Amino acid sequence: MRFVVRRLLLFVAALFGLSVVVFAALRILPGDVASIMAGVNAPPEKAAQLREQLGLNRPLVIQYLDWMGALLHGDFGTSILTGRSVTSLVASRASITFPLIILGLLIALAIGLPLGCAAVLARSARVRAAFHVLAIIGGAVPALWSGLLLILLFGKGTGLVGILPSQGFPMDGWTTPGRALLALILPALSVGIIVGASLMRYTRSALGDLADSGYIDMARSCGMTRTQAVLRVGLRLATPQLVSVIGLTFASMITGVMVIENLFALPGIGNGLVTDVGNRDLIAVQSELFLLAAFFLGVGLVVDVLHRILDPRLKSADTVSEVAA
Amino acid sequence: MSIQVRDLTITIGGKPIVSDADLDIADGERVGLIGSSGSGKSMISKAMLGLLPRNATASGSIVMGSTDVIGLHERALADLRGRYVGTVFQNPAASLNPVMTVGQQIALPLKLHYDLTKAERAERVAVMLAKVGLDGEVTGKYPHELSGGQQQRVGIATALITSPRFIIADEPTTALDSVTQRQIVDLLTSLVDGAGASMLFITHDFSVLARATTRCYVLDAGRIVESGPTAELLASPATAQARELVSAARLLTLRAGGKEESHD
Amino acid sequence: MSNTMRKVCSPGAGETAAHTVAHKPLRRFSIVLRSIWRRGEGKFTLIVLALWLAVALVSLVWTPQSLWTTDGYHVWAKPSASHWLGTDGTGADVFSWLMAGSRTNLLIVVLTVALSAVWGLALVAAMVARTPALAGTSVVVVDALISIPTVLIALILAVPLGASIAVIVVACGFGYGLNLARVARPAALLAARSAYVESARANGASGRRVLVSHIIPNILPVLAVQLSLSAGTAVLAESGLTYLGIGVPSGVPSWGHSLATSVKLINVFPLTVLWPGLIVTVVVVALNVFGDVLRDAVDPVANPALRQAVAQSAGAADNATTNPSAAPVARNTGVSEIAEDDGEGAER
Repeated sequence: MRFVVRRLLLFVAALFGLSVVVFAALRILPGDVASIMAGVNAPPEKAAQLREQLGLNRPLVIQYLDWMGALLHGDFGTSILTGRSVTSLVASRASITFPLIILGLLIALAIGLPLGCAAVLARSARVRAAFHVLAIIGGAVPALWSGLLLILLFGKGTGLVGILPSQGFPMDGWTTPGRALLALILPALSVGIIVGASLMRYTRSALGDLADSGYIDMARSCGMTRTQAVLRVGLRLATPQLVSVIGLTFASMITGVMVIENLFALPGIGNGLVTDVGNRDLIAVQSELFLLAAFFLGVGLVVDVLHRILDPRLKSADTVSEVAA
Repeated sequence: MSIQVRDLTITIGGKPIVSDADLDIADGERVGLIGSSGSGKSMISKAMLGLLPRNATASGSIVMGSTDVIGLHERALADLRGRYVGTVFQNPAASLNPVMTVGQQIALPLKLHYDLTKAERAERVAVMLAKVGLDGEVTGKYPHELSGGQQQRVGIATALITSPRFIIADEPTTALDSVTQRQIVDLLTSLVDGAGASMLFITHDFSVLARATTRCYVLDAGRIVESGPTAELLASPATAQARELVSAARLLTLRAGGKEESHD
Repeated sequence: MSNTMRKVCSPGAGETAAHTVAHKPLRRFSIVLRSIWRRGEGKFTLIVLALWLAVALVSLVWTPQSLWTTDGYHVWAKPSASHWLGTDGTGADVFSWLMAGSRTNLLIVVLTVALSAVWGLALVAAMVARTPALAGTSVVVVDALISIPTVLIALILAVPLGASIAVIVVACGFGYGLNLARVARPAALLAARSAYVESARANGASGRRVLVSHIIPNILPVLAVQLSLSAGTAVLAESGLTYLGIGVPSGVPSWGHSLATSVKLINVFPLTVLWPGLIVTVVVVALNVFGDVLRDAVDPVANPALRQAVAQSAGAADNATTNPSAAPVARNTGVSEIAEDDGEGAER
């Protein structure tokens, strides 16, 4: 329990620190923010008006407190370029990104976990070496390239077996679930293959270390075969570690799929953020970055707490480590 | 159960770890296997259990009862392990499943080999706990919540829960302090004798061996160099290797409260 | 030569030790290189990395076509004798740009690795510091920051900086430095609390000296793997960030640029799409494998040739504890003995 409280305090502190960093990074723009946002050819009055409208002529501390105050009330501001509220922008983007990364993670798990286990269980050294090579190559492919290759293979119009859409998301979104899902298959596969290779490596190394441990010998001496012991005892013992990895992988996929969203013309979170950065849409970028950072820190928090729950050794080690520290 | 080991040779990567070892354990007999670390004694026990690392190969024969376990399929070996052969490991902290409660751990061999209800298993576990001198309330605890000696009692309970006919104790006391060592050895021998099982007791420490076994083999660099009744061997070791081990044991007993620490 | 090296190493005579070591790194370097070359995968990675370096250097003085000749009549041209991989939308030669890209990527990788090494080691030093407050805080800070992905840092940086190499280098160097610190901490902590460091400290060694001559040699294998991984990931990050328009600015050749171009080429001549991606993949594989073989090569336990060289130099300097390289060997040998105990002679 003390661990959770400590971790929560750290979460809040980190969130605060990040909000300052994000805020500061966006204020050290070279040149005047308002005139850049107004555009190169805009009359000076427009910039002045913007400055007034955004309160950019007030002291930085006041601006920061204003932003924070609004955030605490759930108001993330309004995008200057589109006039939409950041909340609705992010929500519509998330309705594409989250299904995409969940699908991608499922594909990755379906690839990575069985292959990782098989790599540990394989009897022949040659088969194990083949798995090793597979994992290394899978981890070296740029996301952009795996997407391109899949488009070349399956993309409508360009592919050898052109059966799947490779551009855009249906305008009516999830009201036509079938078409929406179809649009996500190739992008999810592109990212799933790469993430799957990395999950395979984690599974293989976590399970491989355990397979030579006394825990496995013990389970086998009780009457399990090696395969049983590795899959039942080994996987269970590796679970805390794997849950951490999967959780952090899931979080990092939000930004990890940026390139894929861009390639497949999906208006997701990452793609939208890049667009907003390109447009220098200060308010939107500021709040989006903060939201994303909060999400990552939040996932980190959940993962750490889950890790504790899943490993009984850590629950009591908690007090010990506090004394030692 | 009687055990005959003939011409047992174990190699890892072409290098011999154990060469032409012959060993006999009669029904109900407690036999020791002693050697310095690296002599290959643990490999012999692993070969008996079919737990050799995958890059190791074993030849010769290990007949347990009427079955030769060398070359036996993993499934068939698994059927033997935990049912007819029980194992006590060196370091309980590194072998007891850390996410299983003591009760689940001890019940595991029962669960794997016998068709019992949960209540029947719990009952046998409770009886076993009493036999190894542990309180009934440890059932719900995790191994890390117990002391080293208590953990090893759990290890012994797990090895004996199915009343196996043969016990392999692989350095069961090495990770313990000297007082606990004695208690654990006495517990193990009384339980094995009570069940009428035979036992192979592996150690590098003659002072423990004298308490635990009646007869023993001395292993050096993978070869059995000497064998005989433990008391005789201890009194007048014939080979240099045995003499060395005996004098090391005397030194250990002399050193007051001399503790052995595990390297894990 | 051992005569000149045989000097009295009193406590604090670190300068003398460092002086006699002067030509030794070269010898050790060649030993390490040779033991990498002896392995199959080592050959592969050395050849790929050497080719990369060679192409990068050659591209500085020669490319099949000038980078800046654009041919308005031959935009999106198919591969031909003069344009091996065709031309892009401005009529520039795709192959030449791919070739020239290797130098930009080399620069990025070198800078990223250097930055992540310095930043990571600084964090390691803080994490094993003797001040509990500093050590505790740095561990907590690293744990908190490590969950923030590199792309996000790059995006934050891209707002003020725009597309630039600095965005890639700083974002990657920052993120990978955190990873390095987290992975290297256990080994570093072990070294920092060892008897060698205690005695060095008793002899008045400064914190910086302890870091350089005791902690770094001990985490060298971890360092080798992590920095090679950083190098590989930096190549991948470059391709992604450049494609997104926040990495290498347009007009500068890079593999990310070539990949982005190949996206547009997909409708013209699909097979050219394969090349930039294939090169990136092969290079990243080579860098990752390089980490593994380098780890084995710089580890005195795994590499007998190196152990010999280190032992010789340790003998040359009379006092083992003042010799920068003596500590890791002594510790590692200890570890290997324990490992042999556990393996019951499995090592023999």
